[in-house]
Amino acid sequence: MPLVGERDLRSLAPHAPLLPDLRAEPLTLTEVEVLQLLYEIDDSAITSLLPPALHPTIPPTVSFVFWRVRSGPWGEFELAQARVGCRAGARPRALLLRAYCSNEAAGRALAEGWGFPIVSAHVRLRHYYDRVVGEVRRGDDIVLRGELVDPEAISGADIQYIANLNMARLRGADGEALRLVQFDPEYIFHKAERGRPQVQEFDATAWLLEGAVLDWPISASYAVCDIELPRIRYLVDPARPPLEAVERVGG
Amino acid sequence: MKFGIFFEISVPRPWGPDTEYKVYQNCLEQVRLADELGFDQVWAVEHHFLEEYSHCSAPELFLTACAMETKHIRVGHGIVVCVPQFNHPIRVAERAAVLDILSGGRLEFGTGRSATWTELGGFEANPDETKKTWDEYVRVIPKMWTQERFGYRGRCFSMPKRAVLPKPLQKPHPPMWVAVTSPGTELDAAERGLGSLGLTFGGFEEQEKRIAEYRRRIRSCEPVGEFVNEQVNTVNFLFCHEDREYAIKTGQRLAGTFNYLAEQLLAARQAYPTRSYPNLGLLPALRREATSAPEGRVPEGLCIGDPDRIIEVIKKWESVGVDRINFLLNAVETIPQEEVLASMRLFAREVMPKFGVQPPSKEPAGVS
Repeated sequence: MPLVGERDLRSLAPHAPLLPDLRAEPLTLTEVEVLQLLYEIDDSAITSLLPPALHPTIPPTVSFVFWRVRSGPWGEFELAQARVGCRAGARPRALLLRAYCSNEAAGRALAEGWGFPIVSAHVRLRHYYDRVVGEVRRGDDIVLRGELVDPEAISGADIQYIANLNMARLRGADGEALRLVQFDPEYIFHKAERGRPQVQEFDATAWLLEGAVLDWPISASYAVCDIELPRIRYLVDPARPPLEAVERVGG
Repeated sequence: MKFGIFFEISVPRPWGPDTEYKVYQNCLEQVRLADELGFDQVWAVEHHFLEEYSHCSAPELFLTACAMETKHIRVGHGIVVCVPQFNHPIRVAERAAVLDILSGGRLEFGTGRSATWTELGGFEANPDETKKTWDEYVRVIPKMWTQERFGYRGRCFSMPKRAVLPKPLQKPHPPMWVAVTSPGTELDAAERGLGSLGLTFGGFEEQEKRIAEYRRRIRSCEPVGEFVNEQVNTVNFLFCHEDREYAIKTGQRLAGTFNYLAEQLLAARQAYPTRSYPNLGLLPALRREATSAPEGRVPEGLCIGDPDRIIEVIKKWESVGVDRINFLLNAVETIPQEEVLASMRLFAREVMPKFGVQPPSKEPAGVS
């Protein structure tokens, strides 16, 4: 059977946010700018980044996703994620262990509502005619800087975003437990572009992705879309084998 | 109705030094038996880098071995990836012609374009280009086979006049097919006079409509080759056993395993935003079919069960206009080889005669 992750979960628990409940209500953020840069990573990390519940993609990948949200219940904010491509059983998913957010209220809401493992930072997504730039800066350190180069218009229907699995802690009868929270928003596209990805800076450790070495660029896309943040429907127990790991919320 | 077998050649982990050797030997044994039992064709895919799912990167070699060990069964080279980074069109024409000669004129020639980033990225092929290069290939390859010397100034390749040698044994050339994995490609096949390979869309009713449209359109086609190959060839799973319950359980394991493996790979569409890949490649319709039924029930179109159930299913396929069914027999050796062979024997004994198929005569098939 396919390869599975071998990551020691104990090292991740302290970084996972505590999710007070699974009752997040759907919420639509309008006219969100989204930049996604997709890379193959070196296969030396094909199983070391993922927990035992997940299969790696072949080839292994990391996707960098930036959001620029101009309005909404938490005000203006920018968000950056570095996600490892994976499969939960047969389902395509992307594991998120750390995200950076420019607005504390938004970061707290995303963490408490959907298990985003948020850290505050200066996050920037800027669209230009020759490129789209995403950057995450903590103090003097740039932990991620990448671009979509030479944008060309495409249809939003050509873009497929993969759902997140956010690493979080849940409180249960037996105390706290790590769970991957499936975050699978709906997108309504208003505009889409495609180009070449170029990542200039990537501090893997700052994203809890030690050993992830960018190996080969795949694609870059930029979109303006409405994003409907979903109800939480599925969890994954990261410690269990893939075929036994998925839990339906309320089922 | 004709029946065939279809190989992805999937190899289970852990990979020992001779795991691939054993899987290939099992496949060859299945081909020899299929030949004896009266199966009409054996198809082998071309895939690269698809760990476990398919270790069939040199199908022309595998099919040559099949041809050397059999007398009757036709060899389906399909699909050949018609993308320059994978295969130069001259080499495709040459290799296919040699296979046709060595098999005694038993070649069926399938064309396609790959559907995963795993493969396209591995060869640095541009996903936007593959439909265009496929179209160019299917127009020029039959000319390379039939013209004494062939020269060409094209979009994805050019060549001064040369004799592309050898020429196929079958005249004017082997039957040509195109892999149909997304709705609409069967119409591309029809417009070019090509056989439709792998047409499997959920629901017999939907199938019937698409096949009728394929047959309507092909009547006014401009064939890329020297003749029109109006045939509809589908892919299915096969597990046949006297005990229906056991057959269904085992067949569902086969279908589930195949689907699970296919999902691990990175589809072109998941990695690269492009209009060129509207579907998630790798037999997506068959995979949808395999997972379409409620838990515990067998999807209506799958050939798994006891002979009576399978006869019923094939009659439905026949009634909607399918000419041939090719069967996937195993996935990562999830079914023991002896059970695969027993399933084939039972199918040949109890099912094939109901569709007019008998074991072959002693005379070799092909061009004499």
